Amino acid sequence: MTTQLTPDRVASPLLAPKSGFGPALARWVGALAGAIAIFSILLLTKGADPIATLVDMVVSTTTGASIEQIVIKAAPLVLAAMAVVLPARAGLANVGGEGQVIIGAVAGAGVGLVVSGPAALPLMLIGGALGGALWAGLAVALRVTVGVNEAVTTLLLNYVALDVMLYLIYEPWKDANGSGQPATPPLAIEQRLPLVGGTAVHMGIVLALVAAAAVWLTLRHTSFGFRLSVVGGNPEAARRAGLPVARLLVTAMLLGGALAGLAGVIHLAGIEFKLRPGLTTNIGYIAFLAAWLARHNPLPAVAAAFMLAAITVGGDSLQLDSGLPAATVNVLMALILLAVLGWTAKRSTS
Amino acid sequence: MSDLVVDVLTGAVRGGTAIMFAALGETLAERAGVVNLGTEGSMLVGALAGYAVAAETGTPWAGLAAGLVAGGLLALVHAVMVVWRRADQFATGLTVMFLGLGLTSLFGAAYVGRAAPGFDPVAVPLLSDLPVLGEVLFHHDPVTYLSFAAAPLMWWWLRGTRGGLLLRTAGERADVLHVHGYRPGLIRGAAVVAGGALAGVGGAQLATAYAHAWFEGMTAGRGFIAVALVIFAVWRPLWVMAGSYLFGAALALAPALQARGLSLNQFALDALPFLITLAILAILGRRTLRAAPEELRRVFT
Repeated sequence: MTTQLTPDRVASPLLAPKSGFGPALARWVGALAGAIAIFSILLLTKGADPIATLVDMVVSTTTGASIEQIVIKAAPLVLAAMAVVLPARAGLANVGGEGQVIIGAVAGAGVGLVVSGPAALPLMLIGGALGGALWAGLAVALRVTVGVNEAVTTLLLNYVALDVMLYLIYEPWKDANGSGQPATPPLAIEQRLPLVGGTAVHMGIVLALVAAAAVWLTLRHTSFGFRLSVVGGNPEAARRAGLPVARLLVTAMLLGGALAGLAGVIHLAGIEFKLRPGLTTNIGYIAFLAAWLARHNPLPAVAAAFMLAAITVGGDSLQLDSGLPAATVNVLMALILLAVLGWTAKRSTS
Repeated sequence: MSDLVVDVLTGAVRGGTAIMFAALGETLAERAGVVNLGTEGSMLVGALAGYAVAAETGTPWAGLAAGLVAGGLLALVHAVMVVWRRADQFATGLTVMFLGLGLTSLFGAAYVGRAAPGFDPVAVPLLSDLPVLGEVLFHHDPVTYLSFAAAPLMWWWLRGTRGGLLLRTAGERADVLHVHGYRPGLIRGAAVVAGGALAGVGGAQLATAYAHAWFEGMTAGRGFIAVALVIFAVWRPLWVMAGSYLFGAALALAPALQARGLSLNQFALDALPFLITLAILAILGRRTLRAAPEELRRVFT
């Protein structure tokens, strides 16, 4: 009955379980089929044709434009998933990705308001990373000083972050020329992320993949990564071995927050261009689940982020073609997660 | 000024009731050793089920029962995952929350903006004429009166009955239950489901007695506040009750001050319940963890 926050390579559902490929494949197929079957029943009760709807969803994710959409949606998800993976190695549950993403976007937008010219974009990225780190730092500070569990504090800080952003959007940073929904003034052209040659995809995905590779290298091949896993595995042993446990926890969480903050800035500077209510569309929460799907291993987490991005894009077609609310896709996402998490890993023996 | 105090206290009871049901439900689950972040989802499905059934049948009591069932059913998903499939409690809870969010937006669209019969305030004879107390405590909807009994009942049940003892043992020393031939998993699962049912009642109260409306995501983090509240109430039902009213007061402060012409920042006030929770958690610090049920401490460290 313990919570598995430490990496467990063997049990990762995205890595082929060691106990034979055939049974593992059968479990995967069975789990996904079960999730899709339940979703189909729900669609039937709403009077939608499940087969046509699902075919539409799949087909809609294979056009060139939606592949670009998937990559665009995956970019912040990959970064925010890394923001969960890195602290998880030290045994920390960072459920605050959503808030860190928001504060990252807010800090980026703030820098964008005062700095213009070619220096703006790099400074925005740095500002966003610092903002995210600050937000995660609040939670980890409470953890190492007074021992409050970070899962609870990061979760609560998400709502505070949202209120901070809404305040700025509605009052001091409101675009006086804007009409309709309140928002900040749009970023200038040079403050936006450039596109990847000839596509609609912005450079954020490159940044995200580089960051993911860096996280993977750090965790796997540096002594810092090794120390984190010692702390995550057994903090008491780490303390007795003379490791600076508190400092390692703080560092892991600050780096995680910085990655989530970056996710917020690239979402802002890559696709949104202004702060608005509903900016983040649950990026932080979905990334937490992506990281968990991958059992907190960086490279499978990238794959999981792309998969969840694809489901989200498929959900947009659901709204257009079947008139179902876009949030319906949350049902499919949750069912798939539950099926994969409950029925594809080997049962733990605890 | 005293007028303001009465307004805020009345609002505290009005706004705190939904959170109290959810937090009492979470107390049951956590005393049995399971954290259920899906409480937010259970509240949401309870709110929609409560509102929809009240609209269809014309009786808010049927809605309340539907909220209870819906909240319990969603929590059953969490129970199966963490007790039987041994999945991670935080991640499963969040997934269950997403499931609730998705299900309520799928089935709730038809009820946005639709009128439904709800619970109206009923003044308790005699008691409602008391100065101050009458105004604060006895001009509420019937579900709020139920909630007055809920926390003391749970305190008594956990402390003084066999069922309560079994539940607490499942959270403290599950192996003892094994030795005596009980199945701790079953007890835990039942606690999670019962907790979700209470959260569903809280959601139904929110929709049919507090807001008199259904809209997507209407619980707005109340379920997560409930989880935090249980921690700083050190898993005791009566403290949970007090904590819920503290939140209710934070919720009621904004409209009460605004009605008096004080312009306060809306977003600062919205953030207030979350900031208060964080502050209390920080002040109590390690003390809360020491009071935690043994099995729960493994989840939290």
